Amino acid sequence: MTIHNLNPAPSSNDDALSALVDGELDDGEAKAALKAVLGNARDRDTYREYCLVGDALRGYHHDTPNLTDRVMSALEREPTLLAPMPARSPRRPALWLAAATVAAITWGLWSAVPREETLAPLAANQPPPAGEAGNIMPYLAAHQDFAQAVVAPSEMRITRVSLAGADQ
Amino acid sequence: MRGVWLVALIPYGAWAGDNLPSAEASAWLQRMADASRHLSYEGVFVFQHGDAPVQSLRVLNKPVGGGKDSRLTAMDGIQREVRCSQGISMSLSTEGGQIKVEKRLNSRHFPDLLPISAAPLANWYAVKLGDMSRVAGLDCRQVELIPKDAYRWGYVLCAEKDTALPLKASMVNETGKALIQYSFAEIKLGASSTPPPAPAVDVASQASPVASERVGVRNLPPGFVRITAVRRKLPNKPGEVEHWVFSDGLTHISLFLENTTQPVETLRGQSKLGMINMLTRQVGSLQATVLGDAPWPAVEAIALGLEARQVAGVSR
Repeated sequence: MTIHNLNPAPSSNDDALSALVDGELDDGEAKAALKAVLGNARDRDTYREYCLVGDALRGYHHDTPNLTDRVMSALEREPTLLAPMPARSPRRPALWLAAATVAAITWGLWSAVPREETLAPLAANQPPPAGEAGNIMPYLAAHQDFAQAVVAPSEMRITRVSLAGADQ
Repeated sequence: MRGVWLVALIPYGAWAGDNLPSAEASAWLQRMADASRHLSYEGVFVFQHGDAPVQSLRVLNKPVGGGKDSRLTAMDGIQREVRCSQGISMSLSTEGGQIKVEKRLNSRHFPDLLPISAAPLANWYAVKLGDMSRVAGLDCRQVELIPKDAYRWGYVLCAEKDTALPLKASMVNETGKALIQYSFAEIKLGASSTPPPAPAVDVASQASPVASERVGVRNLPPGFVRITAVRRKLPNKPGEVEHWVFSDGLTHISLFLENTTQPVETLRGQSKLGMINMLTRQVGSLQATVLGDAPWPAVEAIALGLEARQVAGVSR
């Protein structure tokens, strides 16, 4: 029985999109990243996934249906207007969300429920497809009773695989 | 006890660089395990996972009967602590003036990393003694636990020279890269403080035994046994799921089982350093998620070995 990876390799834009979601980019970089989101279907999907993962980490769920699609549609219709951004912090992109949750999940000792008051939702309300990255937080949190270290869902790379010959 | 004397009588240097014979390896493992529970100590240790920021925690341990009372307190961030007493473990966190108490299913934490019965671990790990070192002002002997197969991570411990209490521990991957590290910064052996008792909570409301087994597990990795099977509610998830845990005493792998009416997509998950691995798949009418801080072959073996069982009175 073998397992085959069905996912393509990550693109070089993934880090930029992650940093965009994290608010880590300056004006010029954010414009470029947004342009990429609007011009590439895969990047749109990646951006949507990052938003959903971020929302799952913050504990936001299904309050407003299709908010992500509405935000993406509005982005396409509107000119790009960006507020001044603070200088980039020395934190590494893509670890911002992880840090928020790891503050609550700490090496198998602490309660893992995200702190809901920390941030407004970005794309809360389209539930992630079953089994996607945003849905693994409850399992990571429950395993922490036995884990020596716990990672945030955003630190888990999720890939679709097939079970050749496995009993389904 | 006889094994401990054997360890004490043979000079350390005679073994340096070589794997210990099985009996001596078992004796060292049991000695380190006993020390972490049977000694009184109080200290502060630092913890680091990968390249994440270092965290500081205070630990207090006192032997009680055949067990221990312990208290672990975070020194960074929000107020959090774990109290273990009589085999029951609770986590407490304080936010906004509210204290949140939750029962943990496991009462072990650094330096209490080895299981109560640690000697059998010598079946799955080779044990090698290394050089003397110094941690938190105390001399200690490096003890390396080298997995004999691909189903578990390795460990490098530093055992205090007289008591064998682990003063430092690293979990390492197959290339020797440290995945997580613990190290005492200060420690007082023979501390007289007594940990406060764990607060009383309604344990029955948080987890209940699994009534029937709807899944069988073929081919568990060598040395792994099921140590827990409960129904429980998970954070941010409606309803209850079954939570099983398999362990060889050092490595723990969870299996979550829940009913599903939709086809389950098979997904593999891996953390950045490869320390935590996960596989989600469908087994009969159930979604099964296998997750552990274990190498992929161990998670894969358990996940692929799952098979649906017919349970009387349960329709499929």
